[in-house]
Amino acid sequence: MKNFYIFTAVAVVATILAVLFVPGVDDYVERTFQVYLGRAAR
Amino acid sequence: MKIIKRTIIVVFCLLLIPVAAIATAGAKQRFEDGPNRVFSGGPLVAGELHSGPDPDWSFVSDIPTIEMQLLDPAQSRRIWIAEYENKIYVWSGYMGNPIGRLWKQWPIQAERDGRAVIRINGIRYERQLKRLRTGDVLDGLTAAITAKYPSATTRAAVEAGDVWVFEAAPRS
Repeated sequence: MKNFYIFTAVAVVATILAVLFVPGVDDYVERTFQVYLGRAAR
Repeated sequence: MKIIKRTIIVVFCLLLIPVAAIATAGAKQRFEDGPNRVFSGGPLVAGELHSGPDPDWSFVSDIPTIEMQLLDPAQSRRIWIAEYENKIYVWSGYMGNPIGRLWKQWPIQAERDGRAVIRINGIRYERQLKRLRTGDVLDGLTAAITAKYPSATTRAAVEAGDVWVFEAAPRS
């Protein structure tokens, strides 16, 4: 489990950095979120 | 029992990744000049501030979305707009749905303080949002909305509170 926790922590940090600094990632996240939010609200 | 506990931990940890992505994207947008899609943006800063009489608003029929910022709180979002009898209107659906009301905070905020700035084609207009709850204008307005957008907005839905409609009137 320890390795899994490390993997999760690294993945979360990498995700945050990608959203903040990699062009287009924030828009992709928002677009995907919009799809699921729209379905949930119907 | 142990395997159930571990499964829950694994699922929780994996869910942290998309949650972190969404929270980060939402927070990042707050520092931008305007919104993107669903996340609120910061205040509308760029663009000439319109002064003088209102323009002929019929041009908004060709505009799919506009950016709108409330003064309190100073956050902006992208929304649909309709023109009817040379007045412009914005609205929010899903207001009869708990998830929708959680998602759509701006109508509640706008009812409290309707001062707003909208940006269309790079020009900012100061407006006052006035909620319409009933009236014959809703017949023509909802017809204009459904003609422009794939929307099932009806006068009955507005009067029932499922859709909140605001006139974006000039600010006096």
